[in-house]
Amino acid sequence: MARAVRRLPRRLDYTPGSYPATAVPSAPMLHLLSRFSYGVTPALVAEATAAGGQRAWFEAQLTNAYDGTAAAVADWWPDLKRSPLEIYARDLAGIRPAWQVMTDYVNRTLARRILSPRPVLEQVTDLLENHLHVPVNGNLVYPYRPQYGDLIRAGALGRFEDLLVGALQHPAMLMYLNAIGSTKAHPNENLARELLELHTVGVGNYTEADVKATARLMTGFLIDLTSGALTYNLAAHDTAPVSILGFTDTNADRDGRAAYVRLLRYLANHPLTARRLATKIVVRFVRDDPPAALVDRLAAVYLANGTAIAPVLRALVASDEFAASAGLKLRDPAEDVVNSFRILRANLVKPTTATSPANLLSTGAQNLGHAPFTWPSPDGQPQVAAAWATPARAAASLQLHTKLATLKYPAAIFATTATFLPPLPLAFRDLVDHLHRVLYQRPSTATVLQACCEATGVDPAASITSKHAVVGTGFATLLGALLDQPAFYQR
Amino acid sequence: MMTTDEACCPEMRAMSRRGVLQGAALLGASATIGSAVVTIAGAAPAAAASTLGTGTIVVLSLRGAADGLSLVVPHGDAAYYAARPTIAIPKTSLLAADSFFGLHPKLAPLLPLWNAGTLAAVHATGLPVANRSHFAAMEQLEDADPGSAARVGWLNRMIGTDTDTSPLQGLALGSLVPTSLQGPEGALSMPSLADSLAGDPAYAPGTPRTVSLGCAWSKDSSPMATAMRSTLAATPKLATALTQPDRTSTYGGSDLGAALATVARVIKAGIGVSAVTVDQGDWDMHTDLGTLTKGRMLANAGDLATAIAAFFADLGTLASNVTLVTISEFGRRVAENSNAGLDHGWGNVMFVAGAGVKGGKYYGTWPGLTNSLDADLTVTTDYRSVLAEIVAARTTASTATVFPGFSPTTVGVMRTA
Repeated sequence: MARAVRRLPRRLDYTPGSYPATAVPSAPMLHLLSRFSYGVTPALVAEATAAGGQRAWFEAQLTNAYDGTAAAVADWWPDLKRSPLEIYARDLAGIRPAWQVMTDYVNRTLARRILSPRPVLEQVTDLLENHLHVPVNGNLVYPYRPQYGDLIRAGALGRFEDLLVGALQHPAMLMYLNAIGSTKAHPNENLARELLELHTVGVGNYTEADVKATARLMTGFLIDLTSGALTYNLAAHDTAPVSILGFTDTNADRDGRAAYVRLLRYLANHPLTARRLATKIVVRFVRDDPPAALVDRLAAVYLANGTAIAPVLRALVASDEFAASAGLKLRDPAEDVVNSFRILRANLVKPTTATSPANLLSTGAQNLGHAPFTWPSPDGQPQVAAAWATPARAAASLQLHTKLATLKYPAAIFATTATFLPPLPLAFRDLVDHLHRVLYQRPSTATVLQACCEATGVDPAASITSKHAVVGTGFATLLGALLDQPAFYQR
Repeated sequence: MMTTDEACCPEMRAMSRRGVLQGAALLGASATIGSAVVTIAGAAPAAAASTLGTGTIVVLSLRGAADGLSLVVPHGDAAYYAARPTIAIPKTSLLAADSFFGLHPKLAPLLPLWNAGTLAAVHATGLPVANRSHFAAMEQLEDADPGSAARVGWLNRMIGTDTDTSPLQGLALGSLVPTSLQGPEGALSMPSLADSLAGDPAYAPGTPRTVSLGCAWSKDSSPMATAMRSTLAATPKLATALTQPDRTSTYGGSDLGAALATVARVIKAGIGVSAVTVDQGDWDMHTDLGTLTKGRMLANAGDLATAIAAFFADLGTLASNVTLVTISEFGRRVAENSNAGLDHGWGNVMFVAGAGVKGGKYYGTWPGLTNSLDADLTVTTDYRSVLAEIVAARTTASTATVFPGFSPTTVGVMRTA
């Protein structure tokens, strides 16, 4: 606490520098890339430019999402390829605890976000995997969780109807929300309620009678304890007719699964589900306060395209509301970590030990307040700034950025100081402008410059040679100040 | 040309100067940092109490909807036993039993508080109309202002009724700020003191980093800016909590225990914390709620009781300044389901402990239980009546402001101020 209070002279000229030699993208390109990737790097800008602009890039991302390019990325955690029974048995036998496998899963997700050449697929998977949330730390769910995530990702840019049918019959979801073992004598309502409230039509749009009928229609699912496979107990299934939000079924078959799937398809195509999904998509990709007119239009696109997600995204990106929303979304804790690794150009490689950087990504996000897919309730993590703009996150984020700015934490996998520097000597204000362009793909401001001057004690007009401390031992301080700018937090 | 004062923040420099003078007992100096104002008073801790009152209200949320019928068992209601063939708790196992109610045996650590008359239970409380959605119910419960679309929590309104705008007046233990504390009044959140910036010399007042951050964030209008300013403003005061002994090891090892141990240190530091929120999760027991030998209720109830008992023991004489209340978004059904669990119901129990509590007693109006698949514990006491009684007894806040449009009924659980 005894550090001296050191002050720069009071009336310095903080006119921002200008270093146009370091090119930056147009504002619309920056906006689209920022919103639909996990961090805009010079390489991503070059890719979008080569594709013919941001809209062409976006279209290619939708069209080629499953071309195999992203398949091998971060396929570094072999336990994620094991069957549920193997994961379970190895946990029981003390070979590898299940929680470690689940951490693998989160780490793989984050590694993909850092490295994947298909960030739009990862963004939409992020949204839908939270919409159909099954926490990685759910009781007895974990053996099924990697496969569940694979299912979501494989369907994220397909039709929501198919995704819902797959997810709501997956052992992970059925187990998590207690549909496994639910019987006609005492139907368990947990999954039934969340199907209506969270996955489809939304709160306020269903009755308690709808919940009860849905719960009865869902009865019968079981897990075979020998094989770990999903089975069905005909004797436990309730065969009374159901009427749910306009869906009616005689439900006469002792095997209720076909009728259940009919309900799922009906719900996926319900106008209220369309509105709910459109709202979620707008909140994630446009703004926290979703414009009603845009939601209406996207809901109509969703229904007109048989619940396909990609046409909704196309319409969103083409909208005036999207164009007007630059800078309005806050990165969540995981995005904070991923963006840091991307803009500091981490050379992330296959992990070899428990403390390899790729194995520390989940912890990094957790330390900022939340690791992906650990949200404790079935609504999935929030997508709005109100949840993540907390004093606790602010403190944790400052602490992380200070460490990352050394370019040696958690290991020296980042670009070196030299690779961040333009030809020197250069006025400090121009150096700051160059670095701001490299990190944020936009010119610096007077506020940024002054923050950098205060942090480093360097005069804005000072000539920075290659021998100057601010590009030597003091570079971490300068980089740290830059990482803590408001621009960092905007997606 | 931009000059210092145009481009950046004279406020942060001002705070820095005052921060440096903090040790010299500069009484009542305050500095505005954006929307957050930190008042730095170098007087003894007791004098740092807010104008809302000298005490602290701790709201402990049992997330996921706890089963109040297991925590405070209505052994005098035959329908309870009929509806729960597997999971009912025998009367002979209950603690602090009167002719109708008794406590879950895992709540044994709370008996000293109960017997000392500083712990009470209010049964059949909740929302006036059943809401079985966890998320919607939590929002409604914590917003507690059904007439307004604004997302402002009742605790935020409470700390907004005085002139103190320190972000430390409201404190959320955890990374997130719950709805009850959200709103225009600044509030702090932190998972633990170790996770805060307090104690890191880089963030002491007047350091280059602190001044730089002030530049970067003082004029930004994004949601993150408010959070940054609150953290930076609270850090110097929070550092004093670090000087209080850490007694986490006496709290039983649960996350809840660690959180309450942190709360105790902050309260002992006397830095004007009026409202605290703490969460305990994992109460959504659709399956395996269990019996007295196995299941999920045992550990949860045990952690709850151990942590609360340790909290009041740790507070020592300051316990007479702290009131803790538990709340859960709704209760659970009367009848167990096919998985030895309970689906979403309605009414629940609230525990009230500490300062001002007329304890050792069960409060509320019992509605009588029914043994049917859909039966709830009917709410007979609006949860706001319990909270309003605490607010009235322990603060200067107007309950009409904290709970707009609501007319509380008398519960009698608190001594009037």
